[in-house]
Amino acid sequence: MALGAVHVPLADIWGSLTGTAEEGPLRQIIVELRLPRTVSAILVGASLGVAGALLQGALGNPLASPDVIGVTGGAGFGAMLTLLVWPSAIALLPVGALAFGLVAAAIVFSIGWSGPHAGSIGRVILAGIAISALFGAATTSLMVAYSDRVQSAIFWLAGGLTSEGWSSLKVVWPYMLVGMVLALGLMRPLDRLALGDDVAASLGGRPRAIRLTAAIAAALLASSAAALAGLLGFLGLVIPHLVRLAGGTSSHRFVVPASAVAGAALLLAGDTLARVILAPVELPVGPLMVVLGVPLFLWLLREAV
Amino acid sequence: MTPLLEARDVRVQVGDVEILHGADLTVHQGELVAIVGPNGAGKSTLSRAVSGLQRPSGGEVRWSGTPLSELRGRKLARLRAFVPQRAPVPAGVTVRDAVALGRSPHIKPLQRATRGDHDAVERALERTGVREFADRRLTTLSGGELQRVQIAVGLAQEAPVLIADEPTSHLDLGATATVAKLLRGLVDDGLSVILVVHDLALAAAVADTVVVMADGRSAATGPPREVLTPDRLSEVWRVDAALDERGALHVNWLDRGPARR
Repeated sequence: MALGAVHVPLADIWGSLTGTAEEGPLRQIIVELRLPRTVSAILVGASLGVAGALLQGALGNPLASPDVIGVTGGAGFGAMLTLLVWPSAIALLPVGALAFGLVAAAIVFSIGWSGPHAGSIGRVILAGIAISALFGAATTSLMVAYSDRVQSAIFWLAGGLTSEGWSSLKVVWPYMLVGMVLALGLMRPLDRLALGDDVAASLGGRPRAIRLTAAIAAALLASSAAALAGLLGFLGLVIPHLVRLAGGTSSHRFVVPASAVAGAALLLAGDTLARVILAPVELPVGPLMVVLGVPLFLWLLREAV
Repeated sequence: MTPLLEARDVRVQVGDVEILHGADLTVHQGELVAIVGPNGAGKSTLSRAVSGLQRPSGGEVRWSGTPLSELRGRKLARLRAFVPQRAPVPAGVTVRDAVALGRSPHIKPLQRATRGDHDAVERALERTGVREFADRRLTTLSGGELQRVQIAVGLAQEAPVLIADEPTSHLDLGATATVAKLLRGLVDDGLSVILVVHDLALAAAVADTVVVMADGRSAATGPPREVLTPDRLSEVWRVDAALDERGALHVNWLDRGPARR
């Protein structure tokens, strides 16, 4: 919180947070800009990490990420709808992203969990790809139709945190909370599911229900994250892998909480870098995270046996 | 005495197609029941249906007298353990971790494993002979070792009936013998085992009772020697074959000279 275009001494930060500091621009920067942004970075990073860990575990697929269940496509569409069609209602941007992210996931789930092979991994993933493509096409159409306003949307699509205070956080925190609580309860069932559907069923679990609950929790977390910070889906894909490679185990009782911590730490570090490198110009965090994350990921991949 | 498992006229439908047209299966305590039959006869489907892994579309299944439909989750998991043919092998999970998951029907959510749970895990590791590599990862094990770990997971469940779906079908001769001895030993200790198996010589050697499945029905049930007669082998498998008195299966592979003596 000390770093940024304006340097704030640590003592002043402490003073601002505990309420002992005097009123002034520094206190305002801390309480109304940097604190909410720091909290957002931590929550978004943790949410994406956990969402990725849940989906990769539930679908037994290392390529699973919030993209796979349509959340990213839906949230992107919801955001573009607000930004491009009703720019005057920009305050509703997080609501739009959250709502459409959840709607897209709901469509994917209703297709994926119906029919004779309800809840099978292939069915869920295929439904997700189809719905993502649909929302992607809708987003592109919007961008073509309102091409004069696309400029304002680029930053959101690239993914990044903004210094807009507490308003978005106030909208999404209940969804994040529900997602996180579900994630805690899913750690043991997902470990059983890792031994196969038959073993999970033998142990008294219901594989389809576990998968659906994990997907719902991931949709809540990823939609909330998209509402706060745009499209940072890459984090959801990579963080669980980083955690597994670094920790040497894929037990969900380790991977889920560790993904939360690693996601929060990485995004916080990335966001700070993005604000500092070319201060006062802010770099978009999304591409920066990818640029930083890929070499780290490739290095771990090389080290892993 | 109430049988541990009593299944009558079990039917299973997938979509609009009925793939099991009525099968019976009864298992008593300390009995090894082998389910045999040609590919597609419904052996695995029957074992999955009575286990509650696949919903029966008709018939009646009772575990210790209680209808399967009234048994949910953990309650059912304490009555029977299902050991699948081949399971995914998660990376970074040790043998002991995997076997410990077998205790989950006994551990309530948000509770920790007790001393009793740890003891049960150690017993299962010991009994299946996998204790010596209990701290190795599943990804480093051979097929035979993995299969014994699977059985250990089922044993840790401490259910009175263990259902094994073709546990030996991809194992070599030595590993098959190890698993066969293990399963028979468990039954001699008082457990009940349902073994779905292709190998008729193996079934005849280890089973107390053989259930022959043909075309989605249970065609015959009884002691191996009474059930696996040359006539039945010819009728169900369409092969000229016979079991001799030492339990070896003689097959007239190329229809040159009779297998029956």
